[in-house]
Amino acid sequence: MNRRRSTSLAALAVAAPLALSACGLSEDEGTTTDVTAGSVDPSALEGAALSVGSKDFDEQLLLGQLTIQMLSAAGADVTDDTNIQGSTATREALLRGEIDVYYDYTGTGWITYLKHTENIADPEKLYQAVKEEDLQKNGLVWGQPAPFNNTYTMAVTEEFAEEEGVATLSDMATYMDENPDAAVCVESEFAARPDGLPGMVKAYDMTIPQGSIQSLGVGVIYTQLDEGECVFGEVFTTDGRISALGLLPLEDDKGFFPLYNGAPIVQEENPEGDPILEVLAPLSETLTTEVMAELNGQVSSEGLPVEDVASTYLTDEGFIE
Amino acid sequence: MSSVAEQIVTPRERVFVWRDLAIPLLCLVVVTAELYYLSQAPLDAIERDLVTNARIWEYTQEHIVITAVIVVLVLAVAVPLGVLITRRRTAWIAPFVLAFGNVGQAAPIVGLIAIVGIVVGVGFWPVVLIVAAFSMLPVLRNTIVGIQQVDAGVIDAARGMGMSPRGILFGVELPLAVPIIAAGARTSLVLAVAVVPLGTDLDAGGLGRIVFPAIKLDRIEALVAGGLMIAVLALLIDWLGGLAQRALTPRGIR
Repeated sequence: MNRRRSTSLAALAVAAPLALSACGLSEDEGTTTDVTAGSVDPSALEGAALSVGSKDFDEQLLLGQLTIQMLSAAGADVTDDTNIQGSTATREALLRGEIDVYYDYTGTGWITYLKHTENIADPEKLYQAVKEEDLQKNGLVWGQPAPFNNTYTMAVTEEFAEEEGVATLSDMATYMDENPDAAVCVESEFAARPDGLPGMVKAYDMTIPQGSIQSLGVGVIYTQLDEGECVFGEVFTTDGRISALGLLPLEDDKGFFPLYNGAPIVQEENPEGDPILEVLAPLSETLTTEVMAELNGQVSSEGLPVEDVASTYLTDEGFIE
Repeated sequence: MSSVAEQIVTPRERVFVWRDLAIPLLCLVVVTAELYYLSQAPLDAIERDLVTNARIWEYTQEHIVITAVIVVLVLAVAVPLGVLITRRRTAWIAPFVLAFGNVGQAAPIVGLIAIVGIVVGVGFWPVVLIVAAFSMLPVLRNTIVGIQQVDAGVIDAARGMGMSPRGILFGVELPLAVPIIAAGARTSLVLAVAVVPLGTDLDAGGLGRIVFPAIKLDRIEALVAGGLMIAVLALLIDWLGGLAQRALTPRGIR
């Protein structure tokens, strides 16, 4: 009796840490090894055990998958830790070393992580500023930025644009002067960011009465725009739902919204950091705004699995075979 | 959420005693301290904008209004339904009503909000309806339990005195069930205060308008300020519920 109990206790003692370690960052952890290198150097990361993270929305999941497959092709044993809830949690995971790399945006880096409140309008200067300060303060290295511009703008439906002749943010300012009741739908975060609503209103000298501003979740903005409940809605330029729903992003004719680029980030002290960034650099270079919008659309509108979208793209581009 | 038993077994003759002022005083001190701190703290422009006194006040008012409407709605629906379940002729509705209450509470609220936002629409009423459905169960259950726990002998006596079934319900059963129903209502109130912020994504207003941007932009001071106000509201509303509970309880069982 006693003996049996001690055996089962011993078994428990062995099993418990195993069970605990199984509840790591995400439930869909898995390693991808069935990727064959194309133009990627298959020995660049040979034998390295890496973990790739991402935030929790479509574009991030896609960037995460692209990263995973690139690093796998380069010979690394990659763990999928994508789909972390929120920007801050994802960044913390990198700082703690739970993940080795993920893509983040220069605008988020500047405003959210480095706590600045003034925009830098030039994307190249912004990238350099973020890169320098993040390295100096936090020991993080920003790799080759992708040319895609993930930036805010306001969108309307194509029918509305045609009927009212609204195509630019200046047109929007004029329209709001004549129709102050038109619903302007934004996320609460956009309403609080200096590079968001407050800055836009100032730059375009808009008058938007408090009562016309609706604070919505990002997914709801698209459906409300589509249904005509919102006249103007905040969108991301690379979002696949823009073309799927027939929305027209308004042209930022005064060039107010800063252009944000995505770039892979690693820890400076990570011995695999430089090779990771080297492997990812050629991928980053191909990711233009059009490419991202197209790939995002395949995920969020056509419902294709991110893994497939990523592998098809990488194969078409010759990175993997 | 204090336990039902604790609230019932501390009968007190008077409705109000000075000790009752402890909670609101504490809340006042905490809020004053926080507002003073915010006025002194080295906040950056984003944080300062998020937690101006005007904003805190406006969003708190919105929060109170939404919560109040939810409570009225919950009481107006859950108490009559609970009473119907305890009547012999309408007891058959029990499984349906309880299923509704259980599903309302068990369904992931974030998912409900997303679905309602897309299917029903956005604004004040959709959020009020979701949160009301979410916080219905405690009042419903406690109404049933409160009425069922009334001593059968008391009801017999009332019947013997020639009281009508309606008279017994309103004159005997409901008054005796007040402490338990009110305990459920207080639980619902606190649930509602805590869940209303999630309605921010549907333009319902409330203190979520500080909390969520603060989380996304990683501005801790603003997050604490918003969270603190929600906690203070929960405390105050539960406190008010406690006073109402005592005032409505018949003196004999207070």
